[in-house]
Amino acid sequence: MIFQKPSPKIALENNEEPQEYISGVTQQPDEVETVVGPSVNVEGDFASEGNIVVKGTVSGSVRTSRYLLVEPGAKIVANVRAGSAKIAGEVKGNMKVQDSLELTSTARILGDIEVKVLSVEPGALIFGKIAMAGMESGEAKPSRRTYRKNETAEEVSED
Amino acid sequence: MYVYLYDNFVKNKKYASLIQTLEVRLTDYGIAGKILHLNNYIDAKPIIDDEIKRGAKTVVIVGNDKTFGYVLSRAATCECTFGFLPIGFENTIAEVLGIPVGEEAADVLARRRKEYLDVGWVNNRYFVSQLHIHPAKVEVIYDERFKASAIDKMEVVVCNFQPFYWKKDNNDKEQQVVHPQDGKLEAFLRPLTKKRWWGYKYEDPSVFPFEEMEIIGEKPFTMEADGKISKEVRVKIKLARQKVEMIVGRNRKF
Repeated sequence: MIFQKPSPKIALENNEEPQEYISGVTQQPDEVETVVGPSVNVEGDFASEGNIVVKGTVSGSVRTSRYLLVEPGAKIVANVRAGSAKIAGEVKGNMKVQDSLELTSTARILGDIEVKVLSVEPGALIFGKIAMAGMESGEAKPSRRTYRKNETAEEVSED
Repeated sequence: MYVYLYDNFVKNKKYASLIQTLEVRLTDYGIAGKILHLNNYIDAKPIIDDEIKRGAKTVVIVGNDKTFGYVLSRAATCECTFGFLPIGFENTIAEVLGIPVGEEAADVLARRRKEYLDVGWVNNRYFVSQLHIHPAKVEVIYDERFKASAIDKMEVVVCNFQPFYWKKDNNDKEQQVVHPQDGKLEAFLRPLTKKRWWGYKYEDPSVFPFEEMEIIGEKPFTMEADGKISKEVRVKIKLARQKVEMIVGRNRKF
């Protein structure tokens, strides 16, 4: 066996420890299910039912109903859909996050964001539109009536 | 009716007293049965099929992890309940199944607490503990949806019964636990990157749970499944759900 493997006894004893620490970046109560390690390239429709941690490169599309963590140095060239997310790497593509999105100072987003709760650390870069649920668009709706060249809106209302 | 498949190493003198005590206890419980000795040249499946025709309902494997993998990789499709009496060293699977090593295993067997377990399927045969692909230039396609590749060589380990743990150093707390009944197999990918002058170093592993996976190599690569080594160019791995009915202990890890 090439992998370093501690004796099964020790390994099984350690099972009882809750797995709350993921690579020193964040604390998540749920167990990590899918990890894309550094120097691994993933291409295609990357979907998971559980949490996803990206340390390498992903291109295509990324989908999870749960938590997505993009670590510093990681790169996603894809449209992203997630339950909640924390981005510390680079994302090129539109993001749709159902719950909360956290952008750290090292985050680089090139695309539109649709999210419910957004928190951005100073230093994070965003190039794209941000849409958040729960707020109507501030602009008044333009009238559908078309005016003749010499006619003003007041004249039209008098008619 | 019970049938006991003894591994060859159990004949060793140092296990004689343990086997005797075990057999006495099995007789006390009224679950003693026919004893068959395995060796390297015997295929377990026809033997078990024969015994099932003669009325056997429970087949008990007596040995260690190797024996367990050796028997179940061939006999997973047999229509019977399997039991396990772990003897000696190298018994990691027994701990996962909650079966104590030694004569106490007879108590677990007598209680007959049964569970259906998932097994892996690779190129027309089953594997129960672990599948290991030695470092090679391979590409992995998951569930026909996305593919994972590395710049250089990559090592792949697919876990079913045996948990897989790794540590980068002593301070590393990162651990993954694999359960046999989580409805998915788990693949660990470790790419290798070249060191400055010579040799390779391992990168952090990637973890992908999956139901179907295909591994394609540029050149033939070495694959080890349940101790059986073979050379392959293309490997298809699938999950066979609830294939094996197994007697397990209360302290099982799933």
